[in-house]
Amino acid sequence: MAYVATRGGERAIEQSERLFREAMGGFDKARVTEIKQSLPYLIDRVMGEASLYDEDLAAIALAQTGGELYEAVLLLRAWRTTQPRLQVAAPVEQEQLFTHRRISAAFKDIPGGQVLGPTLDYAHRILATEVLQGADYKPAPVDPAEAPSPAYQPSVSTWQAENDLLDLPDPDGTEGNDIPDLTREPLLFPSKRAHTLQSLARAETGGVLALGYAAMRGYGQAHPTVNELRLAEAEIEVTHPDGRSFSAGRVKVSQAEVVDKKGEKLGIGYAATFGWNEVKCIAAATLDLNSPGADKGAPTEEEFFLYHTEGVESSGFCIHFKLPHYVTFQSSLDAMRDAKAKKAAANIAKEPAE
Amino acid sequence: MLAAPEPSPDPSLSETDANQTFDALIWALSRPGIPRGLPAAGEARIIRALLDRECRAYSADPLILPEIMRTGAQIAEIDAADHVFLGALQDLAPLDRIALGSDLYPDDGATVVLRGQIGQGPGLRLSGPGIESTLTVQIGGLPSGFWQKRRALIRYPMGFEIFILDGAAVIGIPRSTDIEVL
Amino acid sequence: MKLADLTKPWEALSYGFLDASAKREMRRKMLKSIAVPGCQMPYASREVPMARGWGTGGLQVSLTLVNPRTRVKVIDQGADDSVNAASIRRFIARVAGTPTTMDTLEAGLIQSRHRVPEEILRDDQVLVLQVPNPEPLRSVQPNMSIARQMHADADYGRMWLQLYEQIVRSGRVMQGASYPSLVHGRHVMTPSPIPRWDVPKQHMARHLTILSAGREKRIFAVPPFTRVEPLVFSDVPYKVEDHGDLTCTRSGTRGYFMNEIPQNDGTSAYEVSDSEWGVKTIRAAEDGGETRGETWYKDGKMS
Repeated sequence: MAYVATRGGERAIEQSERLFREAMGGFDKARVTEIKQSLPYLIDRVMGEASLYDEDLAAIALAQTGGELYEAVLLLRAWRTTQPRLQVAAPVEQEQLFTHRRISAAFKDIPGGQVLGPTLDYAHRILATEVLQGADYKPAPVDPAEAPSPAYQPSVSTWQAENDLLDLPDPDGTEGNDIPDLTREPLLFPSKRAHTLQSLARAETGGVLALGYAAMRGYGQAHPTVNELRLAEAEIEVTHPDGRSFSAGRVKVSQAEVVDKKGEKLGIGYAATFGWNEVKCIAAATLDLNSPGADKGAPTEEEFFLYHTEGVESSGFCIHFKLPHYVTFQSSLDAMRDAKAKKAAANIAKEPAE
Repeated sequence: MLAAPEPSPDPSLSETDANQTFDALIWALSRPGIPRGLPAAGEARIIRALLDRECRAYSADPLILPEIMRTGAQIAEIDAADHVFLGALQDLAPLDRIALGSDLYPDDGATVVLRGQIGQGPGLRLSGPGIESTLTVQIGGLPSGFWQKRRALIRYPMGFEIFILDGAAVIGIPRSTDIEVL
Repeated sequence: MKLADLTKPWEALSYGFLDASAKREMRRKMLKSIAVPGCQMPYASREVPMARGWGTGGLQVSLTLVNPRTRVKVIDQGADDSVNAASIRRFIARVAGTPTTMDTLEAGLIQSRHRVPEEILRDDQVLVLQVPNPEPLRSVQPNMSIARQMHADADYGRMWLQLYEQIVRSGRVMQGASYPSLVHGRHVMTPSPIPRWDVPKQHMARHLTILSAGREKRIFAVPPFTRVEPLVFSDVPYKVEDHGDLTCTRSGTRGYFMNEIPQNDGTSAYEVSDSEWGVKTIRAAEDGGETRGETWYKDGKMS
């Protein structure tokens, strides 16, 4: 009896992948375009978590993985690894954001105005089952406003700082190449501010929500007020080697400022991400708000929430438990049996004395 | 359908060079005192294999600077440099300023490349990781008191690594190596 | 300068998947990890086309080290044909054009999860071990920042206390695999989840071992001829798994680390864990051709 020719494993993995892909069938450019057009918020979420802004590539990732989100994000991150970093874009100030939606819960009205913009917040969540009966789902057209809101507005916190209600963080003058880049350096603690914000920006939405929600429910010291939530487009301004700066395009971004009301001044938490993802930004900003002074091991402590909201790492580790572990298991069994035998031997030795 | 497996990419010349250079460096650092051959003489290969825009480098030899700058690495003072190229070292003073890292992050200790003559000069007895018991080598061309100075500076695990270049031969001396001057 | 100078000629895939800057970072960190044996060096750990926790740390090391002449062996739990080993081997061969082998003696680079092969490795071989959790102090201190400070201070008191408590409670150290070991007399390291059987193979070995945790972004190394000493009390000696007297039911080889296979009748059968050692043993019995190298263990005992 011989060991089987050791090609079994290779054949098995090849076929298992085929089974997965066969269930979905192939796809083409039209599918990619359709995914991109019909699921923009999903595309945004995947781009945000992948820290790679490219709607076409995100749509391919979704098509190729059948919408298995963790796989789609990993696919994009792995592709990102192969790309060189050509340029560092110029910093974007808040008042330079082309704003589609901007609301504040802290004030009835704010300088620049509340801009409701696109949202499902006030929609009645009724499933459009009539589509199954053959009806088209046709949203009513938007009536243009008489006076359009300004596209560019200052942040609410700017006004608050002017009125001595909060202290804005010291401006960080770090530029270009010197800006710490999480994708090229490990996350170490205490975390660099840039790393914290980058890590939250690419965190897994559900993970950020779970820990942010824990903080909101009382596992944090600060209850958030949404100072400002914004959905916008940001200009990517880069410099041509000949020295001219130019726009390489616009990317959708979302950001949230949340504040606490514990002291004489407002405390502020901030988060931003690629794409439009309000839940993630509010939850992430809440974690940021709660992190100063948080106890080690608390869900609001930086090391705790940054490590545990990293979706590619956490999902990968979770599924790695499917891998065989029989060597480590065997090693533990050996220790258990030996301990048991020792105890039995000790008991036998003790008995005559009793 | 699975895409047909594409043919494996071929390594570019620079990739092959960097791979061979690193192979020599890692081998040399893993076995302190035993010379290993680089694909070509000089610092250039080492610079290309290790440095890029994430690095800060110092060079005492101005002729090496253009090569460093091509990698995108920033030119820095010795104490801020993670890679230090000392060329043919004349005096011991620069050693005082080499970054040692910290107990928390020993990896912040610098990598130092300098010129020497392998097989000449004073005998050294090496021991430590990478050496079965002890090893005796001769390294010439360094200012006197160099090894005593190194010993005084290193506070393991804080310290720095040394690569001694002699033509295309390289010797690696990690901070973990104990050196007795014979 | 032109725009094109900033980039590189388009390639469908870089050689070895990782781009040049990722490889340079790996190289820099590998050198530092060799310089301070057993000390965990942080690195960026790029995403690769495999899930985190599936050998991405080892893979980044392998992809940096290989060239088209490096003969690569990949094992998982000692077996070359384990599905994930097959997947990693296929990936390395595909992106780096490397020849592969299952024979430990033929390999230039061995990437492994949870085992060190039974045949003695030479100085021209590199062993890359996949590491899920690089922090030996995790069980006494889950916070990485505090654990790092403990390493900086060589403050291993709580580790010792944990071992001591186990001995008091159970009569022995209950650590199965990943037995914490002191490297070069300074840093406590996890040898990765290899069985206790394999830890002595790291002590004063001829080969270089690189241990890499991709998800946790830490790399560390055991250079050749480096002391790797399991943490033990002088009166409670280190004990490897009691496998020295077990015989492999498939190959007949005896005195190596075994996999226990539960049988329908309630008993256990054993198969040698190092699958290629089993294959070689069978081949030797069938055609008399001896391809087996020297092993670390002889007659079930570390020699």
